[in-house]
Amino acid sequence: MIRQFALPIWGSKMTQFITAVLTSLSSGAIYALMAIAIVLVWRSTRVINFAQAGQAVLTTYIGYTVIQRTGSFWIALVVAVLSGAVIGAVIDRFFMRPIFKRVKSGPIVMIAPVVATLGLLGIIQALIGFIWGITNQSIEAPVSTGGYKIMGTVIAFSNYNLLVLVFVAVAMLLLTLLFQKTNIGLALRASAYSPEIAKLSGIKVDSVRTLGWAIAGASGGLAGMLYIPGYFLYPNAMDLLLVLGFIAAVIGGLESLFGAVAGAMILGFAIIFSTTYISPKLFFPTAFIVLILVLLVKPSGLFAAKKSRGA
Amino acid sequence: MKKADKVRKPITTRKRLFLFVLFGWLLLILGDRVGDLELYQGSFVATYALGITSVILLTGYSGQLSLGQSALMAVGAYAGALSIFNAGWHPVIGLIMSALVAGVFGLVLGLVAARLSGPYLAGTTLALAISLPTLANQFPILGAEEGIVFDVGLPPARFGEEFSQYKWFFWISALAALIMVFFIVNLLSSRYGRTFKAVRDNPVAAQLAGINVGRLKVNAFAISSGVAGLSGGLLVMLISGVSPSAFPLSLSFSLLGAAVVTGLYSLKGVILGGLVLVAIPEIADSLVSRIGGSESFTTVLPGFIVSALLILAVVFTPNGPGHLLKKHH
Amino acid sequence: MIRNKSMKRATLASAIVATSAMVLSIVPAHANSTGVTATTIKLGVSTPLTGSAGLVYGKVPGAMRAYFDYINANGGVNGRKISLVIRDDKYLPTLAATQTTNLILKDKVFALVGALGTATHSKAYTAAALAKNNVPDLFINTGFSGFTNKAKYPTTFMVLPTYNMEAKVMAKVIKDNFPGQATFLIAQDDEFGADGVAGFTTAGHKFTASPTLYPQGTMTAARAEGALATLGAIPGKPVLVLFGTTDVTATILKAAEKLELTKKFTFLAGSVGADANTLLALGVKSTTVDGIVSASFMPDAKDLTDPYVKQFVDINTKYNKGITFDNYVLAGMNSAMLTVQALRAAGKNLTRAGLMSAIEAKGSTFASAGLVPLGYSATSRVGYNGYWVSQLNAKGEGKPYGGKLVIYTTDSGAGAVEVSNFVRPTMPKNGIPTNS
Repeated sequence: MIRQFALPIWGSKMTQFITAVLTSLSSGAIYALMAIAIVLVWRSTRVINFAQAGQAVLTTYIGYTVIQRTGSFWIALVVAVLSGAVIGAVIDRFFMRPIFKRVKSGPIVMIAPVVATLGLLGIIQALIGFIWGITNQSIEAPVSTGGYKIMGTVIAFSNYNLLVLVFVAVAMLLLTLLFQKTNIGLALRASAYSPEIAKLSGIKVDSVRTLGWAIAGASGGLAGMLYIPGYFLYPNAMDLLLVLGFIAAVIGGLESLFGAVAGAMILGFAIIFSTTYISPKLFFPTAFIVLILVLLVKPSGLFAAKKSRGA
Repeated sequence: MKKADKVRKPITTRKRLFLFVLFGWLLLILGDRVGDLELYQGSFVATYALGITSVILLTGYSGQLSLGQSALMAVGAYAGALSIFNAGWHPVIGLIMSALVAGVFGLVLGLVAARLSGPYLAGTTLALAISLPTLANQFPILGAEEGIVFDVGLPPARFGEEFSQYKWFFWISALAALIMVFFIVNLLSSRYGRTFKAVRDNPVAAQLAGINVGRLKVNAFAISSGVAGLSGGLLVMLISGVSPSAFPLSLSFSLLGAAVVTGLYSLKGVILGGLVLVAIPEIADSLVSRIGGSESFTTVLPGFIVSALLILAVVFTPNGPGHLLKKHH
Repeated sequence: MIRNKSMKRATLASAIVATSAMVLSIVPAHANSTGVTATTIKLGVSTPLTGSAGLVYGKVPGAMRAYFDYINANGGVNGRKISLVIRDDKYLPTLAATQTTNLILKDKVFALVGALGTATHSKAYTAAALAKNNVPDLFINTGFSGFTNKAKYPTTFMVLPTYNMEAKVMAKVIKDNFPGQATFLIAQDDEFGADGVAGFTTAGHKFTASPTLYPQGTMTAARAEGALATLGAIPGKPVLVLFGTTDVTATILKAAEKLELTKKFTFLAGSVGADANTLLALGVKSTTVDGIVSASFMPDAKDLTDPYVKQFVDINTKYNKGITFDNYVLAGMNSAMLTVQALRAAGKNLTRAGLMSAIEAKGSTFASAGLVPLGYSATSRVGYNGYWVSQLNAKGEGKPYGGKLVIYTTDSGAGAVEVSNFVRPTMPKNGIPTNS
């Protein structure tokens, strides 16, 4: 698939710029996958779920096993997403709920789930290591990862990059529709912001919250299966992505999925451009600086509708 | 209770001082009785206890969830190392610089953080934790991955031949930790310290009562960072040098976890928290070598045990084990 | 609830807990315990078993232990059996420091063998006060030339050729085989990469552009694509020297595949990052691996015609069940074989100082799989001091570049790179050393 552009003959500087833009898009899309999952959990349960890194990698290992058996990436993708939903629901029902019951007031309300999800992350990763071993595995991408040829030069954008972007856009649209236009979505939002009032309205807050975790888990499953083919599969494979996804989500405001994707793109562009044009050592400092700059201007993130409602 | 407290205050401080000195004396005597390994581990206990103190101050007492303690420890560590190695100052000055520089840094950070809440603060401190240590690669004076030597020197000759380097480490870290914790405990027991609790329990009421909540939070950040900085300085003393990898993100998580396990709302459990951080991996390791098993099993088991314990602690004692003993909150 | 009283109670409680913990773990003082008894020798290693470095190097300590088990089953060393304590340091310098200290203080090992990593080991060496305690630090698994400095590391013996040496040999390869092509260097931004850069400088090689140095862990696919896209515009067939770990080499090669630049460059991959099997396992296409130039000082692990390799494969099957034999297992067993010879040479009256003098005196004659000479002497802590140039093929084998095995030796300084006609010592029967 060759797209025709009316471009002048490319020099080295132009190549560098175009490559930077394209790789920023790809990086941003990857961060967006995780940012979406984080925002989903936050919107439906007001918890930062660090175990997401473990859940997503676990579902990817499940997908890997499916590929070993069936040879099909797409079947594996479906299985990963479904198992992500199940695992997410199970974690909420049998793990987070007891914790919420015991912890009712004080700053510990915010912290206990964080620490609990950290502990859960460790357990999941240990289990993975035990079941599948700790050596690197890899998953083959389902479509070509070769770059497109434009006017004789191969650019750093492939069918696979396009696939990831498409999935991100579709996921964002579908989920936004779910939250904004459906009754279930309304219930999800209501249970998160005002559990007492939601209960009074007859919403089964606990079940709705579990649903929220299920959706987030499914999203994480999607993230893992799309992320891993470019990298390697091992128990800690998604730790870095979780951190960057979280930062992206915060930049975007934690309120909307559009914000999550936008935040991720901003982060991706910033990191790629600063490491390409200034110094490769600025990978992490760039993330921090972007985040700080955004929060200084808008303490609740770029696309937060209003000021924070007070957790 | 309130009236009696006011009358008791001067006595309380003196009594506390006496207790701390007594405890310090006990530790030093103990130091003579144990081997180098225990002294080495004990130094880490003291260092971690200090780190946990900083977490409790910031999160337990002023309600700000920060994942960036490791970054603040790094600031203190580098400040100390630069003072001793590059500026040639005395190690004690070096450690003081660790606390001071980190405290100033925390002050600035606190000013920024005051406007942020909940996950936004968490995200910012998380980003700080992963990016600050990598700055060492950017500026050659910070020595990149090899880092800077942190050398507190040999024990003074007058202590004799038998006084090992590890005992010296233990003396320095235990004493530094004791002194710092003493200051903090005093601070928290004072009238000023009580405002912390007021803000944490009910910020709106506190504000109505005239307490400047914003300023308090910033101060808490600064003080907590100073404590963390000292802890960082002690940590790199123990490994004889500072480098970025001494302060990974997981250190922040470990301190937070230990703080939750031993009680986020009071300083009573910090020593226990330090012990937990040192002892649990050791116990996990020896358990693993006793059980044996396949290669994957033995490699993942220690991590599993640590995580499981963390979860158990959060589920069963989210407010710290002290609350299991007390009858009321 | 009176704060003062409970404060007092808590302080005392903490004191009691701390005291009991320490009292309970007191061991009787071993004033001069050196890890040697009448029947055992205790050795220790701090190395990554988990984490991304563990994925690559995790097999090495197990391989060493397998070889020691083999020797133990065949009489041990002067009647003593060797035990190896393995501690995981996840390639983190801080953890390496504490684990090495634990090996000395807690496990009370006689000597360390095979410590891995430049930043990790340099930190561990100082933190654990190895010099002060005179603990032999044998056959370390890193090529940083700084470790040959006897003043700084008095008890350390290298085994890998230094990265400096490797760069000098690579410079010669470029000069001899790719004159006139543009050359570029992508290296890890730490002492490992810096050592390589220094080697190229000493050899008088100037790169077409200043080296791209990336901090460990930041060479992402995006970054690699960016770098290669820019370099792809250079005319001719540039030589791209990769001085990093295998996962990074894989990332860069895969970026080249994506941009269809695999045949645009000649890839010259440093030995640390060029293990063919690992590259293939990480998803690099065999057509990409085919043709990569590298350097090695050992025979290829797939070469069963080599007597050392065959013997080690045998030992691996019997004593290291479930582990596939590869270059890392080969390296581990090789170091273990050197260790056994060192222990034998030190004699029945085994002391730390004696062990080190034995290596200085006799180390250069030890039998090993290495195809280049060992450089131990009273003044030198250098192990292997050369390389032969290899070329990888699509099957994951490394064969001599140009078809004929040529051994180069050099030093970490300004010495020239020379061709050597070194012939390695014959392997002792059944791989069991009988030296003294």
